Amino acid sequence: MTAAIDTDALLDLIWVAPLAVLTVTVSWALVVSGVTRAIEARRGGRVAVAGAYAVLAVVGGALFAAAVVFGLLIMISKG
Amino acid sequence: MDSDIILVIVVAAALVFDFTNGFHDTANAVATSISTRALAPRTAVTLAAILNFVGAFISLEVAATVAGGIVDAHLINTTVVFAGLIGAISWNVVTWYYGLPSSSSHALIGGVVGAAFAAAGANAVIGDGLVETVIVPAVVAPVVAFAAAGVAILVTYRMVGRLRPGPVNRSYRLGQIVSASLLSLSHGTNDAQKTMGIIVLALIAHGNLAPGDPPPTWVVVSAASAIALGTYSGGWRIIRTMGSRIFKMDPAQGFSAQTGGAAVLLTAAHLGFPLSTTHSITGAVLGAGAAKRLSAVRWGLAGNIVAAWILTLPAAAIVGALTYGLSHTFGDSALGPLLIVIALLALLGVIFSQRLRRGPALTTSPADT
Repeated sequence: MTAAIDTDALLDLIWVAPLAVLTVTVSWALVVSGVTRAIEARRGGRVAVAGAYAVLAVVGGALFAAAVVFGLLIMISKG
Repeated sequence: MDSDIILVIVVAAALVFDFTNGFHDTANAVATSISTRALAPRTAVTLAAILNFVGAFISLEVAATVAGGIVDAHLINTTVVFAGLIGAISWNVVTWYYGLPSSSSHALIGGVVGAAFAAAGANAVIGDGLVETVIVPAVVAPVVAFAAAGVAILVTYRMVGRLRPGPVNRSYRLGQIVSASLLSLSHGTNDAQKTMGIIVLALIAHGNLAPGDPPPTWVVVSAASAIALGTYSGGWRIIRTMGSRIFKMDPAQGFSAQTGGAAVLLTAAHLGFPLSTTHSITGAVLGAGAAKRLSAVRWGLAGNIVAAWILTLPAAAIVGALTYGLSHTFGDSALGPLLIVIALLALLGVIFSQRLRRGPALTTSPADT
């Protein structure tokens, strides 16, 4: 019995899925890290550093939002 | 007249299956959020139920066949579908009773395979299809999700581990609300379609619909409502297993498990390699726990879950085959399916009343206990 397994899709899944997970994880960690450090820096009076961390959080947030939208598009495209 | 009654029974059984599917799979979307207190239990299941309902309307690509590519399509008739549904419902109830997460789709496939086997022997089952659609994904989903969530939590700890835990935990709880919502929506788009497919198939067999016709509005609304109601009822026993019995997770682990499972599922759907939600999320929960500390995970419980996964197909198949055999003894008459439904309802009544007598913890949310 030779099952017609889609080997290409399977191999793609093995590297694409962890990459997708990593993208979402890193993007949210950037948001958490950026926001937390920006608040701490602002409290310490380091406005420039706070601004830099805020930008980092915005970049992470944009990445995370893009990943969520991509996920929604995958769901919608099934129909 | 008999065919009308059988149609009604099949539609009712499909909706009951849909309800148990929602009931059984609530844990996939909300267990980690409840465990880390990202969401209150009742809020979590309400959110999941609403998004399940909405999800059912997003994708209307109903499954044209039940167990397509696994069972000879010519053998699929209302009696086989009915027997398959009874097999799947029975397995969903048994695994709920023991608080074990298992795949409702695999249970349905198992039930139909068993019924088709009873109807036409081994030739009715397409082995290649079974390996491709059930066995390979059942191995791949938890392994990939386990690895992905494991890497995710290690990266997370590396990036935010030295920050103050208060704000970090609050942020990850917020992230969990997003990932739980995404998972619930995804569940609605996937699983309600199976029920719509079964009802459409029954309507085609009965001559109410022509092949290729879109599902009538009442089919879409009833399937969406059944899965949403099931989700709202909350399978608290499975939620407990997934959320706190496997290991006690922190918000970052909960987020990693949820996003790990969701990303694996959606990537697989994008690549045309559909995986079981239950297998992916459970694999991700185990990965998020094991990556922090191997001994944190209750491996005995994990073993029981894997055993339930292995048993899903054969157990549902046996019930499906027995149900088909019993129905078939009454010929084309509706009496067989009717008697089976009455027997099943009586059995369910006994199980639920026994559980209720043991205490409310088994059927109510953790917040209510």
